[in-house]
Amino acid sequence: MTPAFEIKDIHKRFGALEVLKGISLAGAEGDVISIIGASGSGKSTLLRCINMLETPDQGEIRVGSEHIVLGPGRNGRAAAPDRRQVDRMRTHLGMVFQSFNLWTHMTVLENVIEAPVHVQKRPRAECVEEAMALLDKVGIADKRDHYPVHLSGGQQQRAAIARALAMRPQLLLFDEPTSALDPELVGEVLRVIRQLALEGRTMLIVTHELRFAREVSTRTIFLHEGRIEEEGPPGEVLVAPRSERCGQFIASHY
Amino acid sequence: MDPRFMWETLGKLVEGVPLLFQLVTVSLAIGFVLAVLVALARLSPLAPLSRAAAGYVFFFRGTPLLVQVFLIYYGLSQFPEIRASFLWPFLRQPYWCAILAFTLNTAAYGSEIIRGGIQSVPWGQIEAGRAAGMSGWLLMRRITLPIALRQALPAYGNEMILMVKATSLASIITLMEVTGIAHKIISETYRAVEVFVVAGSIYLLINFLLTRAVKQVEWWLSPHLRDAPGAAVKEEAALVH
Repeated sequence: MTPAFEIKDIHKRFGALEVLKGISLAGAEGDVISIIGASGSGKSTLLRCINMLETPDQGEIRVGSEHIVLGPGRNGRAAAPDRRQVDRMRTHLGMVFQSFNLWTHMTVLENVIEAPVHVQKRPRAECVEEAMALLDKVGIADKRDHYPVHLSGGQQQRAAIARALAMRPQLLLFDEPTSALDPELVGEVLRVIRQLALEGRTMLIVTHELRFAREVSTRTIFLHEGRIEEEGPPGEVLVAPRSERCGQFIASHY
Repeated sequence: MDPRFMWETLGKLVEGVPLLFQLVTVSLAIGFVLAVLVALARLSPLAPLSRAAAGYVFFFRGTPLLVQVFLIYYGLSQFPEIRASFLWPFLRQPYWCAILAFTLNTAAYGSEIIRGGIQSVPWGQIEAGRAAGMSGWLLMRRITLPIALRQALPAYGNEMILMVKATSLASIITLMEVTGIAHKIISETYRAVEVFVVAGSIYLLINFLLTRAVKQVEWWLSPHLRDAPGAAVKEEAALVH
């Protein structure tokens, strides 16, 4: 069976600092992979490398039919990938940011239909209908005409999830989706993500919510200093880790 | 102060308002389009383009508008190539010379205002656009510019007011807008104070209306800063039932 996504040997350097030191990862349809690790371990960078918000210095990314190979160019720096291909690949990836990043000048509904209408060029009426179903699913259909500034953090993040889903992505990327939320708003966002996991969506989730990770993911990855230190079913990695570092990290988080 | 004389003067000066209005609207309209283009050029990663834009802004901000008006009106006719070109029928008229000078001048200031607006767009807004598969002109048109122009509007309103007042310089190259007519009346009557009080009032009134208009546009463009649309939702609910 071909994997839903696959990355191979991803390297990313910021100046002298090598943040990712060769990460390979593949997921089948319906996999929910949680990525944990201390801050600075490279987990957000890894997620951002997959949709090329950070351009990896080296490695391969395959999402659906798109395949991008990055490597040292003639001048030793990463060769710039084809912009159109990157744009196309990004439409197969739904990104949910830590700080929501809803477009402030658009209503919730406009946020959700923006990419389907203007990037994917789908008929507007169809997009609106689908967007309303998505807003209903995340529980904020009544907020369709509100601007992001009028919503709570939890509502904004749910709108952002609806926006990501509207592109019908093959893979959803969550970059610490609850880290910017007040504690009492975390639950409503996790409920939505849990629902998506039950529907069999393929997801990569960078999170500090270990309890949640254990509950929703099919696989957990512990990153340490730019490498995958431990990988396995959440029941093993999060409960009885083999690596000492992973054990320490988990002990400090419960 | 003679109210009767001032009333008569007002009647004469108002005849200069349509010309003032033309000078302002034409140069602001073309100047705005040019300002966006110059701002984009200034922010372009292509060094020659960015440097050319910077040079243009440097020149037009660094010299007095009056000097620019003179240089265009008297200077361009020095070149036989220009006199022979298809532009000459325009450039020999003081009207088009004034519009050209005003347009180039306001575009230089405007481009810096818009550049500031573009650079103040939060990075997360642009990243969200990129993550959704947008890039290039689509990203600029749908995300960056709408946010940037909204941010730039108050400062741009300032520039519009400056342009209204700057049109008075057109009188120097024989155009009979409000200040030009005022000069003429003064040279006939020697009553400078009364004439300039009336002329100044006209500019004041125009700028008052302009300020209100800019405020209104700000309001239209800022639905996200107004109250949540509870009323609209209730209206819809009423329609459904």
